Amino acid sequence: MWRYIKWTFRIVLFLIVAGFLHYTLPHHDIVRVTNTYNRLTTVGSENSWAYAAPDTGTAESTVTRDIRFIETAFPGGSVMVYRNEDTGWVWPPYFKYDSSNLQAEAGNLKSTAEAPKWVVVTHYGWRFPFLSIYPNAVSIREATGPDERIIPYVPIVVLVFLAFLVFMVRRMWLQFWERTVEPAAAEVGEAWDGVEARADAARAGAKGVFGRLGAWLGTWRKKR
Amino acid sequence: MIAILRLAVFGFVVLTLTYVIVSIYSRSVRREKLEKAWDGDPAREGSSPAEREAYIEAGMVAYHQSLRRKLILLVYVIPTLVVGVTVYLVNYQ
Repeated sequence: MWRYIKWTFRIVLFLIVAGFLHYTLPHHDIVRVTNTYNRLTTVGSENSWAYAAPDTGTAESTVTRDIRFIETAFPGGSVMVYRNEDTGWVWPPYFKYDSSNLQAEAGNLKSTAEAPKWVVVTHYGWRFPFLSIYPNAVSIREATGPDERIIPYVPIVVLVFLAFLVFMVRRMWLQFWERTVEPAAAEVGEAWDGVEARADAARAGAKGVFGRLGAWLGTWRKKR
Repeated sequence: MIAILRLAVFGFVVLTLTYVIVSIYSRSVRREKLEKAWDGDPAREGSSPAEREAYIEAGMVAYHQSLRRKLILLVYVIPTLVVGVTVYLVNYQ
Protein backbone atom coordinates (compact mmCIF):
# COMPACT_ATOMS: atom_id res chain seq x y z
CA MET A 1 0.00 0.00 0.00
CA TRP A 2 2.59 2.54 1.13
CA ARG A 3 4.88 1.35 -1.61
CA TYR A 4 2.28 2.25 -4.22
CA ILE A 5 1.67 5.66 -2.70
CA LYS A 6 5.40 6.31 -2.54
CA TRP A 7 5.95 5.29 -6.14
CA THR A 8 2.93 7.25 -7.35
CA PHE A 9 4.29 10.30 -5.58
CA ARG A 10 7.73 9.80 -7.11
CA ILE A 11 6.39 9.30 -10.61
CA VAL A 12 4.13 12.35 -10.38
CA LEU A 13 7.03 14.43 -9.08
CA PHE A 14 9.26 13.19 -11.88
CA LEU A 15 6.60 13.97 -14.49
CA ILE A 16 6.13 17.49 -13.12
CA VAL A 17 9.87 18.20 -13.17
CA ALA A 18 10.33 16.63 -16.61
CA GLY A 19 7.33 18.51 -18.01
CA PHE A 20 8.57 21.76 -16.56
CA LEU A 21 11.99 21.26 -18.12
CA HIS A 22 10.50 20.18 -21.43
CA TYR A 23 8.37 23.30 -21.50
CA THR A 24 11.20 25.67 -20.57
CA LEU A 25 14.26 24.33 -22.38
CA PRO A 26 14.83 25.38 -25.99
CA HIS A 27 13.91 23.10 -28.88
CA HIS A 28 14.74 23.39 -32.57
CA ASP A 29 12.37 22.87 -35.47
CA ILE A 30 13.32 22.88 -39.12
CA VAL A 31 10.42 24.51 -40.91
CA ARG A 32 9.45 26.78 -43.76
CA VAL A 33 7.89 30.13 -42.83
CA THR A 34 4.60 30.58 -44.64
CA ASN A 35 3.14 33.65 -42.99
CA THR A 36 3.71 36.22 -40.26
CA TYR A 37 1.07 38.45 -38.76
CA ASN A 38 -0.32 40.13 -35.64
CA ARG A 39 -3.61 39.08 -34.22
CA LEU A 40 -5.66 40.58 -31.45
CA THR A 41 -5.72 37.73 -28.98
CA THR A 42 -7.66 37.17 -25.81
CA VAL A 43 -5.63 35.60 -23.06
CA GLY A 44 -7.82 33.82 -20.56
CA SER A 45 -7.22 32.41 -17.14
CA GLU A 46 -6.81 28.90 -18.56
CA ASN A 47 -3.83 29.74 -20.74
CA SER A 48 -2.30 32.94 -19.34
CA TRP A 49 0.55 30.89 -17.86
CA ALA A 50 1.68 30.13 -21.41
CA TYR A 51 1.81 33.79 -22.44
CA ALA A 52 4.12 36.64 -21.57
CA ALA A 53 3.46 38.49 -18.32
CA PRO A 54 1.67 41.80 -18.92
CA ASP A 55 4.72 43.96 -18.12
CA THR A 56 7.30 42.45 -20.46
CA GLY A 57 7.14 44.95 -23.29
CA THR A 58 5.15 43.31 -26.08
CA ALA A 59 2.24 42.46 -23.80
CA GLU A 60 0.52 45.57 -22.49
CA SER A 61 -2.82 44.20 -21.42
CA THR A 62 -3.63 41.15 -19.36
CA VAL A 63 -6.77 40.15 -21.26
CA THR A 64 -6.68 41.21 -24.89
CA ARG A 65 -3.51 42.12 -26.69
CA ASP A 66 -1.88 42.15 -30.08
CA ILE A 67 0.37 39.12 -30.39
CA ARG A 68 2.75 38.38 -33.26
CA PHE A 69 2.50 34.93 -34.79
CA ILE A 70 4.70 33.02 -37.21
CA GLU A 71 3.05 30.33 -39.29
CA THR A 72 5.28 27.56 -40.60
CA ALA A 73 5.20 24.19 -42.30
CA PHE A 74 7.39 21.16 -41.61
CA PRO A 75 9.10 19.31 -44.47
CA GLY A 76 6.48 16.56 -44.01
CA GLY A 77 3.65 18.99 -44.58
CA SER A 78 2.27 19.35 -41.06
CA VAL A 79 2.18 22.87 -39.70
CA MET A 80 3.26 24.75 -36.59
CA VAL A 81 2.28 28.19 -35.35
CA TYR A 82 4.63 30.07 -33.03
CA ARG A 83 3.85 33.14 -31.04
CA ASN A 84 6.52 35.78 -30.84
CA GLU A 85 6.51 37.61 -27.53
CA ASP A 86 9.14 39.13 -25.29
CA THR A 87 9.94 36.98 -22.28
CA GLY A 88 10.94 39.78 -19.96
CA TRP A 89 13.62 39.45 -17.34
CA VAL A 90 12.62 36.71 -14.98
CA TRP A 91 10.95 33.60 -16.35
CA PRO A 92 11.58 31.79 -18.61
CA PRO A 93 15.12 33.14 -18.57
CA TYR A 94 15.59 33.87 -22.28
CA PHE A 95 15.80 37.66 -21.76
CA LYS A 96 14.24 38.18 -25.14
CA TYR A 97 13.26 41.71 -26.04
CA ASP A 98 13.73 41.76 -29.82
CA SER A 99 10.36 40.34 -30.87
CA SER A 100 9.94 43.03 -33.54
CA ASN A 101 13.28 42.13 -35.12
CA LEU A 102 12.46 38.44 -34.97
CA GLN A 103 9.17 39.11 -36.71
CA ALA A 104 10.98 41.04 -39.44
CA GLU A 105 13.52 38.22 -39.88
CA ALA A 106 10.75 35.65 -40.09
CA GLY A 107 8.92 37.76 -42.69
CA ASN A 108 12.13 38.05 -44.67
CA LEU A 109 12.57 34.24 -44.68
CA LYS A 110 9.09 33.49 -46.03
CA SER A 111 9.04 30.99 -48.86
CA THR A 112 6.65 28.93 -50.96
CA ALA A 113 6.26 25.16 -51.16
CA GLU A 114 7.69 25.26 -54.70
CA ALA A 115 10.88 27.08 -53.68
CA PRO A 116 11.27 26.22 -50.01
CA LYS A 117 13.76 28.04 -47.81
CA TRP A 118 14.27 25.91 -44.70
CA VAL A 119 14.89 27.68 -41.41
CA VAL A 120 15.72 26.58 -37.87
CA VAL A 121 13.31 28.03 -35.32
CA THR A 122 14.54 27.90 -31.74
CA HIS A 123 11.59 27.95 -29.41
CA TYR A 124 10.30 26.87 -26.05
CA GLY A 125 6.81 25.88 -24.98
CA TRP A 126 4.11 23.63 -26.32
CA ARG A 127 1.35 23.81 -28.89
CA PHE A 128 -2.04 23.02 -27.33
CA PRO A 129 -4.77 23.90 -29.81
CA PHE A 130 -7.45 23.13 -27.25
CA LEU A 131 -6.17 25.81 -24.84
CA SER A 132 -4.90 28.16 -27.60
CA ILE A 133 -1.33 27.77 -26.39
CA TYR A 134 1.58 28.40 -28.75
CA PRO A 135 5.31 27.86 -28.34
CA ASN A 136 7.30 31.08 -28.21
CA ALA A 137 9.88 31.49 -30.97
CA VAL A 138 13.18 32.73 -29.62
CA SER A 139 15.36 32.95 -32.70
CA ILE A 140 15.36 32.01 -36.35
CA ARG A 141 18.12 31.28 -38.83
CA GLU A 142 18.48 29.67 -42.23
CA ALA A 143 19.07 25.91 -42.17
CA THR A 144 21.51 24.11 -44.44
CA GLY A 145 18.69 21.84 -45.54
CA PRO A 146 15.50 20.10 -44.44
CA ASP A 147 17.48 17.41 -42.64
CA GLU A 148 20.18 19.43 -40.92
CA ARG A 149 21.46 17.72 -37.78
CA ILE A 150 21.20 20.00 -34.72
CA ILE A 151 22.99 19.21 -31.47
CA PRO A 152 21.01 20.72 -28.57
CA TYR A 153 23.94 22.18 -26.63
CA VAL A 154 21.89 24.42 -24.37
CA PRO A 155 19.64 21.66 -22.94
CA ILE A 156 22.70 19.41 -22.49
CA VAL A 157 24.59 22.07 -20.55
CA VAL A 158 21.55 23.03 -18.49
CA LEU A 159 20.72 19.42 -17.60
CA VAL A 160 24.32 18.63 -16.66
CA PHE A 161 24.41 21.76 -14.53
CA LEU A 162 21.11 20.84 -12.83
CA ALA A 163 22.43 17.34 -12.09
CA PHE A 164 25.57 18.92 -10.61
CA LEU A 165 23.38 21.23 -8.54
CA VAL A 166 21.33 18.33 -7.15
CA PHE A 167 24.53 16.42 -6.37
CA MET A 168 26.04 19.43 -4.55
CA VAL A 169 22.87 20.18 -2.59
CA ARG A 170 22.82 16.55 -1.45
CA ARG A 171 26.46 16.68 -0.41
CA MET A 172 25.95 19.95 1.42
CA TRP A 173 22.93 18.55 3.22
CA LEU A 174 24.84 15.40 4.25
CA GLN A 175 27.76 17.50 5.44
CA PHE A 176 25.43 19.72 7.45
CA TRP A 177 23.76 16.64 8.94
CA GLU A 178 27.02 14.94 9.82
CA ARG A 179 28.81 17.99 11.24
CA THR A 180 26.01 20.00 12.83
CA VAL A 181 22.86 18.00 13.46
CA GLU A 182 24.40 14.74 14.66
CA PRO A 183 26.77 16.32 17.23
CA ALA A 184 23.89 18.46 18.50
CA ALA A 185 21.63 15.39 18.71
CA ALA A 186 24.35 13.50 20.61
CA GLU A 187 24.61 16.39 23.06
CA VAL A 188 20.85 16.46 23.56
CA GLY A 189 20.94 12.70 24.07
CA GLU A 190 23.55 13.07 26.81
CA ALA A 191 21.55 15.81 28.48
CA TRP A 192 18.47 13.61 28.25
CA ASP A 193 20.32 10.71 29.88
CA GLY A 194 21.16 13.08 32.74
CA VAL A 195 17.50 14.05 33.11
CA GLU A 196 16.47 10.39 33.21
CA ALA A 197 19.08 9.57 35.84
CA ARG A 198 17.85 12.43 37.98
CA ALA A 199 14.23 11.35 37.51
CA ASP A 200 15.16 7.81 38.57
CA ALA A 201 16.87 9.17 41.69
CA ALA A 202 13.85 11.30 42.52
CA ARG A 203 11.52 8.35 42.01
CA ALA A 204 13.62 6.19 44.30
CA GLY A 205 13.35 8.87 47.03
CA ALA A 206 9.60 9.28 46.61
CA LYS A 207 8.33 6.39 48.72
CA GLY A 208 5.24 6.91 50.89
CA VAL A 209 3.19 10.08 51.33
CA PHE A 210 5.86 12.12 53.08
CA GLY A 211 8.55 10.74 50.91
CA ARG A 212 6.55 11.85 47.87
CA LEU A 213 5.92 15.29 49.40
CA GLY A 214 9.59 15.64 50.23
CA ALA A 215 10.54 14.57 46.74
CA TRP A 216 8.15 17.13 45.26
CA LEU A 217 9.64 19.85 47.46
CA GLY A 218 13.02 18.58 46.36
CA THR A 219 12.21 19.37 42.76
CA TRP A 220 12.04 23.06 43.70
CA ARG A 221 15.48 23.01 45.21
CA LYS A 222 18.49 24.08 43.26
CA LYS A 223 20.07 21.23 41.32
CA ARG A 224 23.47 20.23 42.60
CA MET B 1 13.41 48.95 -16.99
CA ILE B 2 11.91 48.14 -13.60
CA ALA B 3 12.04 44.46 -14.57
CA ILE B 4 15.84 44.58 -14.98
CA LEU B 5 16.21 46.18 -11.55
CA ARG B 6 13.95 43.54 -10.09
CA LEU B 7 16.07 40.83 -11.66
CA ALA B 8 19.24 42.48 -10.35
CA VAL B 9 17.95 42.82 -6.78
CA PHE B 10 16.35 39.40 -6.69
CA GLY B 11 19.39 37.79 -8.30
CA PHE B 12 21.73 39.49 -5.85
CA VAL B 13 19.73 38.22 -2.89
CA VAL B 14 19.62 34.65 -4.22
CA LEU B 15 23.31 34.64 -5.14
CA THR B 16 24.28 36.04 -1.75
CA LEU B 17 22.35 33.25 -0.07
CA THR B 18 24.12 30.74 -2.33
CA TYR B 19 27.48 32.35 -1.55
CA VAL B 20 26.92 32.13 2.20
CA ILE B 21 25.81 28.49 2.03
CA VAL B 22 28.70 27.48 -0.23
CA SER B 23 31.20 29.27 2.06
CA ILE B 24 29.86 27.47 5.12
CA TYR B 25 30.00 24.15 3.30
CA SER B 26 33.52 24.72 2.00
CA ARG B 27 34.78 25.73 5.47
CA SER B 28 33.13 22.68 7.02
CA VAL B 29 34.72 20.34 4.46
CA ARG B 30 38.14 21.89 5.05
CA ARG B 31 37.83 21.57 8.84
CA GLU B 32 36.80 17.95 8.53
CA LYS B 33 39.77 17.28 6.24
CA LEU B 34 42.15 18.86 8.77
CA GLU B 35 40.66 16.85 11.61
CA LYS B 36 40.99 13.63 9.64
CA ALA B 37 44.56 14.47 8.61
CA TRP B 38 45.49 14.93 12.28
CA ASP B 39 43.59 11.91 13.56
CA GLY B 40 44.90 9.64 10.81
CA ASP B 41 48.55 10.57 11.33
CA PRO B 42 50.32 7.89 13.42
CA ALA B 43 53.15 10.33 14.29
CA ARG B 44 50.65 12.41 16.29
CA GLU B 45 49.43 9.53 18.41
CA GLY B 46 49.08 10.68 22.00
CA SER B 47 49.48 14.42 21.41
CA SER B 48 47.27 16.76 23.43
CA PRO B 49 43.86 18.08 22.29
CA ALA B 50 45.29 21.61 22.46
CA GLU B 51 47.89 20.73 19.84
CA ARG B 52 45.19 19.30 17.63
CA GLU B 53 43.12 22.43 18.06
CA ALA B 54 46.11 24.63 17.18
CA TYR B 55 46.85 22.54 14.07
CA ILE B 56 43.25 22.85 12.87
CA GLU B 57 43.10 26.59 13.57
CA ALA B 58 46.34 27.14 11.64
CA GLY B 59 44.89 25.15 8.74
CA MET B 60 41.73 27.24 8.79
CA VAL B 61 43.74 30.48 8.75
CA ALA B 62 45.65 29.18 5.73
CA TYR B 63 42.34 28.28 4.09
CA HIS B 64 41.06 31.77 4.73
CA GLN B 65 43.88 33.23 2.66
CA SER B 66 43.71 30.58 -0.05
CA LEU B 67 42.64 30.99 -3.66
CA ARG B 68 40.04 28.27 -3.20
CA ARG B 69 38.04 30.44 -0.82
CA LYS B 70 38.18 33.38 -3.22
CA LEU B 71 36.96 31.16 -6.04
CA ILE B 72 33.58 30.99 -4.29
CA LEU B 73 33.08 34.53 -5.64
CA LEU B 74 32.47 32.82 -8.98
CA VAL B 75 28.98 32.23 -7.60
CA TYR B 76 28.36 35.88 -8.50
CA VAL B 77 30.44 36.03 -11.67
CA ILE B 78 29.18 32.98 -13.58
CA PRO B 79 25.41 33.69 -13.46
CA THR B 80 26.05 37.30 -14.47
CA LEU B 81 28.11 36.11 -17.45
CA VAL B 82 25.46 33.54 -18.38
CA VAL B 83 22.75 36.21 -18.37
CA GLY B 84 24.96 38.51 -20.46
CA VAL B 85 25.74 35.80 -23.00
CA THR B 86 22.06 34.79 -23.19
CA VAL B 87 21.00 38.39 -23.80
CA TYR B 88 23.61 38.70 -26.56
CA LEU B 89 22.77 35.39 -28.26
CA VAL B 90 19.01 35.87 -28.12
CA ASN B 91 18.80 39.51 -29.09
CA TYR B 92 21.90 40.44 -31.10
CA GLN B 93 22.57 37.44 -33.32
